Amino acid sequence: MQIIISIFLAVLAIYFGIGLVFGLYFVFVGAVKIDPLLKESKRRVRILVFPGIIATWPFLVGKLFKSKKL
Amino acid sequence: MGLDYKLVFWNKHKRIYDKWIAIAMVLYLAIFFVLSFVTNPEMIAETIIIRAFGSLAIVMLHIILAIGPLTRINSRFMPLLYNRRHLGVSMFLATLIHGVFATIQFHVLGNVNPIYSIFTSNMDYGSLTNFPFQVLGFLALLILFAMASTSHDFFLHNLSTKIWKRLHMMVYLAYALVIMHVFLGTFQQEMSLFTIGMLLIGFVTICTLHLMAAFKESKTDSFIAIQEDGWLEVCHPNEIEESRAKIFTVENERVAIFKNKGKLSAIHNVCKHQGGPLGEGKIVDGCITCPWHGYQYLAHNGQSPPPFTEKVKTYELKVMNDMVYINPEAFAEGSEVTPISC
Repeated sequence: MQIIISIFLAVLAIYFGIGLVFGLYFVFVGAVKIDPLLKESKRRVRILVFPGIIATWPFLVGKLFKSKKL
Repeated sequence: MGLDYKLVFWNKHKRIYDKWIAIAMVLYLAIFFVLSFVTNPEMIAETIIIRAFGSLAIVMLHIILAIGPLTRINSRFMPLLYNRRHLGVSMFLATLIHGVFATIQFHVLGNVNPIYSIFTSNMDYGSLTNFPFQVLGFLALLILFAMASTSHDFFLHNLSTKIWKRLHMMVYLAYALVIMHVFLGTFQQEMSLFTIGMLLIGFVTICTLHLMAAFKESKTDSFIAIQEDGWLEVCHPNEIEESRAKIFTVENERVAIFKNKGKLSAIHNVCKHQGGPLGEGKIVDGCITCPWHGYQYLAHNGQSPPPFTEKVKTYELKVMNDMVYINPEAFAEGSEVTPISC
């Protein structure tokens, strides 16, 4: 059981680790390429959406790839 | 609707609503603290904080889960739905405080990683009664984090409504985890019939409300229109109030037929923003206005007024023998259809 727990927590840590790195790129560079509304918004909005980007990064990576603006 | 994202979308009503949320939360916590000190003076402050915020979060989660079915049963509850997002984020903050304090109290002082300790301090995973309940709470907190952190229009636009909805439907999984977390925690630590009783009442209430709402909606979905040369007879024109709509199920799709200045128009019932029921809204400033978040559409073409770009499907109508007929073949989103007189 301890092996399963270790693997689960490692996957979780990797998921959030990648999310953190991607989040920094996305919130300052990537997001405005696919969402012009964010460009017009205040900087504080980017800070507010940052945790959500970490949580949902696989979907946003997919959207960036589809938009071919990576 | 807007041309940029707001940090928090506040208007006069939302500010009043948020003040009431804050007042109710503070009041609940104050009462909980006083009662705990009076009834159990030897209890340490950290334990009271954990229990106060944990129980507050559960109460709020029940209210949040009740709002959806309540609005489907009675539209007078709609203002609660309109403001539910802020209640959800507040509930997450209460849950987070509960989780952080519980982790500090039970897992930080050891020599292993606190998160690892949550999963390994009780290894009785094969037991039904002694199952490690804190793991269930941790998993529920992860789901609630994903939901609260994406409670912004930015994610509705960029994750797509479908994915966003699916993510937020996970509240039911979080609810199940929370129920088991509290039940097992109470069972394993100190058997409290009051806590278990309240949990049971809450669970039965939520289930009953959802069943009542589903029963009410099944009546709309089971409506069978009379066919006439491919057109479906739906209602008498007078059954639709001015500036309001009636909802019908046509070819497994919900359609709202609106009456605007005596003329009828039909559009798809699902708002492009969060899937709100457009037919439960009304016409404001000449536009069909979604009751959930105020997204607007023009009745004659299903398009949001410029500069907005949302579009819904439109339908052709006719009035014959004093009855309204609808062509079940929908036009493409945003197609112009001339409203008909009735």
